Amino acid sequence: MKIKFLSLLVAFASLLVVGCKYDNFEAPKSTLSGRVVYEGKAIGVRNNGPQLELWQDGYPLRSAIPVYFDQDGSFSVSLFDGEYKLVRKGDSPWLQQATDTVLVQVKGNTTIDVPVTPYFTVTNESFQKNNNSITANFTVNRVVGTANLEFVRLYLGKSVLTDQVQRELRVDANLANVAFGQPTSIVGELPDNLKNLDYVFARIGVKATVSGEYYYTAVQKIALK
Amino acid sequence: MTLSTLNSCNHDDWFDRDSKSLITDAQLWNDPKLLTSLVANYYDRMPTLHGVFNTGGMTELDDAMWSGHRDQNWRNDYQFGDDYGRYWDYGLIRDLNLSLENIDQFSTQLSDAQRKQYKAEIRFIRAFVYFELVKRMGGVPIVTTQLIYDFSGDPTPLQVARAKEYEVYDFIYKELEEIKEDLTVYNASKTRANKYTALALESRAMLYAASIAKYNNLMASPITTAGGEVGIPANMATGYYTKSLAASKEIMNGPYALYNENADKGANFYDMLNKKTGTEVIFAKDFVTSLKVHRFAYDNIVRSLTEDNESSSTISPSLSLVESFDYLDGSKGTLHDKNGAGNYVAYQNINDIFANKDARLFGTVIYPGTSFRGRAVSIQAGVATWGTNGAYQFTAAPQLGQNYASGGLWTGFDGPLYDAQDVSNTGFYIRKFVSDAPAASTRGTSAANWWPWFRLGEIYLNASEAAFELGQTVDARTYVNKLRERAGFPANSVSNLTMDIIRNERRVELAFEDHRYYDLKRWRIAHLVWDGSENDPNAVVYGLYAYRVVRPGHADDGKYIYERVRPARFRKARFFRMANYYASISQDVINKNPKIVRNPFH
Repeated sequence: MKIKFLSLLVAFASLLVVGCKYDNFEAPKSTLSGRVVYEGKAIGVRNNGPQLELWQDGYPLRSAIPVYFDQDGSFSVSLFDGEYKLVRKGDSPWLQQATDTVLVQVKGNTTIDVPVTPYFTVTNESFQKNNNSITANFTVNRVVGTANLEFVRLYLGKSVLTDQVQRELRVDANLANVAFGQPTSIVGELPDNLKNLDYVFARIGVKATVSGEYYYTAVQKIALK
Repeated sequence: MTLSTLNSCNHDDWFDRDSKSLITDAQLWNDPKLLTSLVANYYDRMPTLHGVFNTGGMTELDDAMWSGHRDQNWRNDYQFGDDYGRYWDYGLIRDLNLSLENIDQFSTQLSDAQRKQYKAEIRFIRAFVYFELVKRMGGVPIVTTQLIYDFSGDPTPLQVARAKEYEVYDFIYKELEEIKEDLTVYNASKTRANKYTALALESRAMLYAASIAKYNNLMASPITTAGGEVGIPANMATGYYTKSLAASKEIMNGPYALYNENADKGANFYDMLNKKTGTEVIFAKDFVTSLKVHRFAYDNIVRSLTEDNESSSTISPSLSLVESFDYLDGSKGTLHDKNGAGNYVAYQNINDIFANKDARLFGTVIYPGTSFRGRAVSIQAGVATWGTNGAYQFTAAPQLGQNYASGGLWTGFDGPLYDAQDVSNTGFYIRKFVSDAPAASTRGTSAANWWPWFRLGEIYLNASEAAFELGQTVDARTYVNKLRERAGFPANSVSNLTMDIIRNERRVELAFEDHRYYDLKRWRIAHLVWDGSENDPNAVVYGLYAYRVVRPGHADDGKYIYERVRPARFRKARFFRMANYYASISQDVINKNPKIVRNPFH
C-alpha cells in the first residue's frame, strides 16, 4: 500500500516537472523605436500623456498595442517581426489621423520617424535668467490653419519631468500679444521654493482648443548659480 | 418475478408528474410569487458606478481619498484610464427583454393588470440600465427584443449599430412616460419602482441630456462623432430642461416631503439617510440584518469606535469637500485657519473652526470635536510647540492616544496620521451612510441601512437647475432656498442665484451619492476641476490637521491651530482627460460587431 502511494506520488510529482512547449511563448525580440517629428524635429509631449497605437492584421481578433512616449517625443516597443499599422490618435497635440495609418515593417531592430501635423509649434526658444526671474523668448507658429490657440504657457520645475501636470510654476502668456510667426516672451518670477536651487528646468507649452494635450519644447536646464 | 415485470399500470398520469427540481416556463410566468422574486433579482442587479456603498469608488474623486489597507493605495495614485466607467451589460438587457417577451407569451393565467404591472417594472429597470449606459458610453445600440441567431452563417442581423446619444435619452423618456401610470399600484412602496420613481428617473435623465446639449456645445471644441453617437444638438437643450422640470414638479406635488424629524439640523441630515422613516426617499435598495447586509460601516467606522478586529476609516473626506459647505451667514465655506498676515488663528475648542457651518457638514463628515454613536471622537494630529526659530513646530506622538510630556492629549486615538492605514489621513471621517446601529461595523452582523437611488433633495436641485437654465430664476431660487432651510440656513438665504451656487449645492447635498462624477461630466467641467495639476487644491486631496498649542505663558496656550497638509499617501492629483468624457468601448465588443463606432479620442 505504502509503495503504491509513493509510486503514485512520484508519478504526479513528475508531471509537475515536465514542461510543455506550447505554454511557453517566446518573448518578442525585435524593437521598434523612433520619434514623432514635424519638419524633422521631434515634438515634446507630456510625461504619461499622448499615445500611438499599433495594430496588426491577419488575426481573427484585433487588439491595439499602446505605444507610450518619453517626454522628448521618442518611443520604443518590443514586437515580433511583421507588418504593423501605426495610428495617430486624437487628444494629442497633433492632428488625429485615425484612418490614415502608417505601415511599419518590423524586422529586427527598426527605427522610424512618425510624421505628425501639430496644431502649433514653438521655435527659436531661449531662456534667460535675470535676478529672480526667468525670461522665455520664442515664436509660436500655427501649422493647422483652422486651429485656435487656448494657452501659451511657461513651466518651471525642479525636475526634467516638467509639464502641465508636474511643475512648480506656470505663467500664462497674454494671448492678445501672441502673433503667429513673431517673437513672444513670457517672464516668470521664481517662487521661494525655486529661488535657492542650483538650477531649474524650463519648458514652453502650447495648447489648441481641440485637444487636451500641449505641444512642448525640449526641457532646458537653467543654472541659477 | 416474471409476473411482476408483466404487471402494468393503467394510470398513465402516474408517470406524468411535475418535476420537483425544474420550474417550467408555464409555472414561472404564471406565479406572482415566482415572478416577484425574478423581478427582485433584476432590482438587485441595477448598475451603479460609485453608489450602493461602493467604498472604493467613493475615494476615486476629489471628495475623499483612500486611507484603508495599503493594497488599494492605487486609488490615491492613478489617473482615470480610457476605460474608466466603462459599462456594457447587454447580458442584463437580454434578460430583461426575454422576461418581457415571456410574459406576453406564457403569462396566460395572470390578469391584464398583473401583466402590465410586471412589465412596467421590468421596463423601468431597462430604462434605468440604458440611462447608465448612455451616461457612461454615449449613444449605445438600443435593443428591445431578444436577438436570436438563425444559423444561416450570417451574423449581421444581430449586429445593431449605436443609436445617437439623444435617441437613447428619448427612448428612456418615451418608455417612462408609457409605463408610469401602470406603476401607480406601487406608490406606497419605496423599494419597488412606482410612478414617482419613473418620474424621478425622467427628472434626472432629462437634466443630463439637457446639460450635455447645452454645455458640450459651449466647449471650445465640442466632443462629437460624425454620426451623432456622441454629442446632442444645442437646440434640444430647452426641450429637455422643460421635460425635466415638469417631472420634478410632479414629484414635488406628490406625497413626499423633505425629511425634518430631528430638531438638530445636522443629526437630521444624517438620520434622513440612516433611518428608514419619513417620506424623503423615493426609491431605495433595502438591506435587512441577517438576510441581506453590506459592510459600509465595517469599512468606514471611526478607528476608535470599531467593533471588529480589522479595517475602519477607509474613506477620508477631503478638505475641499469640507470647505465647500458654506457658513450659515451665507459666506463662503473656506476655513479660517490663518489670518490675513499668514499667522495661525488659535481656537478655544477643537471644533470651533467649524462653528456656524452648513448643518449638512455635520451630517456628512465627522470632524474633530464631534461624536458618533454617542461617543466623542478623538481626532487631533499632535501638539504645536513654539520653536527657537520663532515658528510653531508640529510633533505627532509615536503612538495614537498618547499623552504629551507636559500633560494633555498628544495625538488622538483617531489620528490623523499622514502615512498610515486604517486611520484617517486627512483629519476627517465619513458620517453619511455609516450606520450607527449596534454591531453594524462588525463583519458578523454588518449594516442594514438602505441605499437611496432617488430622494426628494435631489429632485429639488434638479428642479432648481432646470428652472434656472430656462430663465425661471424666481422658482429656481425658491427650490434651492427650501433645501437650504432644511440644512439650517435662514429663509431666503440665497438672493442672487448663480449656476455656481447650484453646482456647489449639489456637491454638498449629494456628496457620496454617486452624482459628482456624472455632474462634472455633463457640465463639461471635469477636465478643468480635475486638471491633474499637483498644485491645484481641487485636484489634490488635502487634509486639515488640528494641533494643540503648548506654549506656556502665551495667550494661545492650550488652544488649537490648524495646518493644511497633503497626506503622504495621496500620490497623484486627479486627472480627467477629454478622453474620459466617454469611456472607451472594449475592443472585444468592436471585434464582435464591426458596426460599433469608437468613442472620440479612443
